Amino acid sequence: MNGLKRILLVEDDPKDVELTLTGLAEYNLANDVVVARDGEEALDYLYRRGDHQTRPNGNPAVMLLDLKLPKLNGFEVLEQVRADENLKMIPVVILTSSHEERDLVKSYKLGVNGYVVKPVDFHRFVNAVKELGVFWAVINEPPPGSVKKR
Amino acid sequence: MHSAANTLADFAGRDNCVNSAIKTQSLATKAGAPVTALDRIILRYGLAVGSVAAATALGFLADRCDLHESVFTIYLLAVALTSWYAGAWPAVIAFALGELAFDYFFTPPLYSLSVTREDIAYFPVFTLFSGLLIWFGVVRRRAEADLRQSRDLLEAEVEQRRALNVELAKRSEELQATNRELEAFAYSVSHDLRAPVRHIAGFTELLQKHANPVLDDKSRHQISMILEAASRMGTLVDDLLAFSRIGRAETQKTTINLEQLVKAVIGEIAPDTQGRKINWRIGTLPISYGDPSLLRLVFSNLLSNAVKFTRTCPQAEIEIDSLNHASNEAVVFIKDNGVGFDMKYKDKLFGVFQRLHSQESFEGTGIGLATVQRIVHRHGGRVWAEASVNNGATFFVALPTPGKVKG
Repeated sequence: MNGLKRILLVEDDPKDVELTLTGLAEYNLANDVVVARDGEEALDYLYRRGDHQTRPNGNPAVMLLDLKLPKLNGFEVLEQVRADENLKMIPVVILTSSHEERDLVKSYKLGVNGYVVKPVDFHRFVNAVKELGVFWAVINEPPPGSVKKR
Repeated sequence: MHSAANTLADFAGRDNCVNSAIKTQSLATKAGAPVTALDRIILRYGLAVGSVAAATALGFLADRCDLHESVFTIYLLAVALTSWYAGAWPAVIAFALGELAFDYFFTPPLYSLSVTREDIAYFPVFTLFSGLLIWFGVVRRRAEADLRQSRDLLEAEVEQRRALNVELAKRSEELQATNRELEAFAYSVSHDLRAPVRHIAGFTELLQKHANPVLDDKSRHQISMILEAASRMGTLVDDLLAFSRIGRAETQKTTINLEQLVKAVIGEIAPDTQGRKINWRIGTLPISYGDPSLLRLVFSNLLSNAVKFTRTCPQAEIEIDSLNHASNEAVVFIKDNGVGFDMKYKDKLFGVFQRLHSQESFEGTGIGLATVQRIVHRHGGRVWAEASVNNGATFFVALPTPGKVKG
């Protein structure tokens, strides 16, 4: 849990976490995921605070961020990340249930790299997660200072 | 407006002065009893008598000071005073009394009502001037009454408007609150209802995958039923959300070539028409005015429906054309030779989640025509349908055409 992982999944719903990990497991990416259950834990991980104090230095290659989260919501996390010199380059993809245009607009204004609406259909959901994982953790070249590929 | 109000205030002020003077008098005599109509009459005529008496006293004073000529004017002043404050009839009394008193006290032979030849001219002149003064008083009173009436009317109207404004503001606030609630509801549906649906579908699917070898046919069927239901619920939630978004979306209106739009939509739904024999007939369609993406949704829904409900026909005929209608609206119709519907259900046709066909014969959630109606209404237009069972249906869309974008 404290290790350095390529994918930071910020998701409060354990069922969504399980389904997402199932999707990522198909490409053997499940072990590359660290899960934060709320916005505060996500920032703790990024800043190496609290439970994540001892993790090695480095940023995840991508952060998959839900919008509706306990404590700090997705937008608040995003704002802090984009305002921090060391974190602002982390690719952030919103992974949400919300179709709402205002959420979409707000996310892009805050500088997200992608916005994915969780499909209701399981196959499409798994595919979406798989493709996201593969693209951001394997295909994409992350910014300097990110975790290296295995 | 402002000066009129000032004048009104002046009049009112003047009247108040008189009224308060009268009131003080009556207070002294009647110890606070309200001024009755009779009191008022007594006071008005009392003013007439009193002013003539005062004029007589002043006349004697003037006479003593060798100002004999001004006595006539003093009596006229008494008439003017009475006419101004007490009205026409007291002024007539003041005139009569004044004339008698002037004759009796100041015209030779003194202390008699007879008149010498050289003084007789005073009386018609006095009558003429008094008449003018009384007439002026009447006109003034009438104008004042008119003004007061207009003022009261205005005040009443202002009060009414104020009350209406307050009511309107309240209503608009209520409406805004309802709107906010609805928006919050839709948002919550989008966020919270979709997740469990996805979980049901997802975990059932996982279960199906893992347990498939050990399941019997009945269990497999039941699992597939769960999946079907979850997927339908997902579609319903998504459709409902899309429908609620139409009401909230900002519209950006421009001129639209409906012919191009219809052709684009037909191209879009081409995958659904594969293996079908459909004869499309597209007439000359008008240039319309509206939100392109919303109107596209209208025609996408109507044309998809036409394709769907002609599925049972060996040769489908779908016609899109316009009616020569009133110049203030463009009427486009989509006519098919499909299964149609019973006209007795025409009022249900555009309701949310209303369906006139079973899920087995024609799939769908029943949101399409509700969406169509909502969009057309948002454009200030109308939508209606004519059909009969197994004899095709025709859907009409009327969109207002602002004069400036005609042609």
